[in-house]
Amino acid sequence: MNWFTDRHFFLLAVLFYGLSTVYSVSLWRKGFRKDNRVNYVLLLIAFGLHVTAMGLRGFSLQHCPVNNLFEATMFVGWTIVTAYLVIGLVSKLRFLGAFVSPLLFFLGVFALMPALDQPHGPKLEFTGAGVSLHAALILQAYGTFGLGAVAGLMYLLQEHDLKFHKLRAIISVLPPIQKLELISVRLLRNGFILLTIGLGIGAAVLDEHKDGSFTDVKVIWSVLVWAIYLVLLVLRWKFARGGRRFAWGAVAAFVFVLLTFWGTNLLSPLHHQP
Amino acid sequence: MSVVVIGLSHRSCPVAVRERFAFAEARIPEALTALRGAGIAEEAVILSTCNRVEIYAATALDPVSAFAALKQFLRTFHAADDSLDQELYTIAEPHSLHHLFKVAGGLDSMVLGETEILGQLKKAYDLALQHRHTGARLNKAFQRAFNTAKHIRTETNIQRGSISIASVAVELAEKIFSSLNEHEVLVIGAGDTSEKTARALISRGARSVIFANRSPERAQVLAAELGGRAVQFDEWPALLHQVDIAISSTSAPHFILDRQRLEPVLKLRRDKPLLLIDIAVPRDIDPAVNYLENVYLYNVDDLQSIADDYLKSRHAEIARCEQIIAEKVVALLTPQKLRGD
Repeated sequence: MNWFTDRHFFLLAVLFYGLSTVYSVSLWRKGFRKDNRVNYVLLLIAFGLHVTAMGLRGFSLQHCPVNNLFEATMFVGWTIVTAYLVIGLVSKLRFLGAFVSPLLFFLGVFALMPALDQPHGPKLEFTGAGVSLHAALILQAYGTFGLGAVAGLMYLLQEHDLKFHKLRAIISVLPPIQKLELISVRLLRNGFILLTIGLGIGAAVLDEHKDGSFTDVKVIWSVLVWAIYLVLLVLRWKFARGGRRFAWGAVAAFVFVLLTFWGTNLLSPLHHQP
Repeated sequence: MSVVVIGLSHRSCPVAVRERFAFAEARIPEALTALRGAGIAEEAVILSTCNRVEIYAATALDPVSAFAALKQFLRTFHAADDSLDQELYTIAEPHSLHHLFKVAGGLDSMVLGETEILGQLKKAYDLALQHRHTGARLNKAFQRAFNTAKHIRTETNIQRGSISIASVAVELAEKIFSSLNEHEVLVIGAGDTSEKTARALISRGARSVIFANRSPERAQVLAAELGGRAVQFDEWPALLHQVDIAISSTSAPHFILDRQRLEPVLKLRRDKPLLLIDIAVPRDIDPAVNYLENVYLYNVDDLQSIADDYLKSRHAEIARCEQIIAEKVVALLTPQKLRGD
């Protein structure tokens, strides 16, 4: 039995996400009093294993590994952990890991379910660089939205503590709520740009084939997600709907993506080869 | 030769006694010379602050004789006839070193864990060192005391957190706003605590302060002193939409700010957070405004409660500090014991 498959490396990565989650629980219990460098190192190790898993899968397929739910979920997780590791270079933002690792662990466990990693069937209907770029950009967008939702969640936690005069609001290492809101807005804006480009490339690929796939459930769902984030950002910029409402919006929008992403994928003949 | 300490502190006597035995900085070298000249001490350091007067001496005398001589010296030098039987504490080695380390770490201070005493202790030691009144024993003891204080500061939470209303208010502001230098402060009613809070905010980078006081002269004095501006008292409601932090401490018998007055202001602020600090008794701001989105209201009890929680957490650290000090004292004395010093 080969112990060095992409799934084994990913399993190891998920174990490190799990360790990081356990450590994060202790940080939560202590009220974020210390900078969580340990968490950063755990997530860095997990990232190395995660990248190895994706690399092995990509080399075996000879293209970007985003063709089934296992690969797509793995890609979203990779986007989140990469963004976190870059943001976490700033020590004041490193505690973000305590919120990110449970999400990564959840995504990882979900991705590892055997039913999600279906062998690739006959040659995909649409292939080529355009399709790979479309999938990669869109999954990166979801990863960025995920991180934005994490920042929104932290905002809500800190805002609640400040409103209700909890000592934890002061003693924790969480940054000011204004900064958390700014981080969340920027992440959502960047995610929206990635999603727009990714959907644009997808539309161009479909347009080449002119087969009426614009009515595909996944395409409709993607446009709906795009519209949700557009409304959130427009409300924030034009009508100053920031603060708690924006944070709730960022969290709710990503929960919607999480809960419906896989379902719509299964219902979409364009994205799912049974 | 052993290290002994005699002293008067906020724990042993009131300020009326301490002030009679305090040493002016200019007279400390003279006092140290006299101490050594009288054969009471081979080495000595005098620490004289508003909360304590202490003489640290390395002496060849036995502790009982040394204490009697030091007490007599203190009375003679200050020409006082107080007996000091109840007020003066005397500590022999090794407890004297333990005491020194505790003082350096802020564990014996009136405000537990404060750091000002370490600076004062360093200054007292430097003065004695410059005038060559210290030697191997006290040099080593004081250097170790400074190291221990640093160790305590980094390894424990004894100095963590704010324990005054003004500094808690500043910490709250820093948990709401990314950077204080983009934000303006409005002070409504220039009382003592609001002045301290405004000073603390300015020292942490707040852009400017607007003072609105019933007595315009007081507002103008504070504005001139802190680099802000003074306005007529009745102008403050019109300014509320442009400031991000408002400190209120008027003597009004009723609320001067409530939901009805604040809601239109919040619309103009476009969802920017507003920190309201109400340190007036009776309160100036209706507590119901805290239910409004983006408004964070803290009254004097809320701030005091946070300060008290901090103080409790500092007290919880005492045992850890004591353990560090005990280890450091043993480490300091062990080589001397081995040498039979």
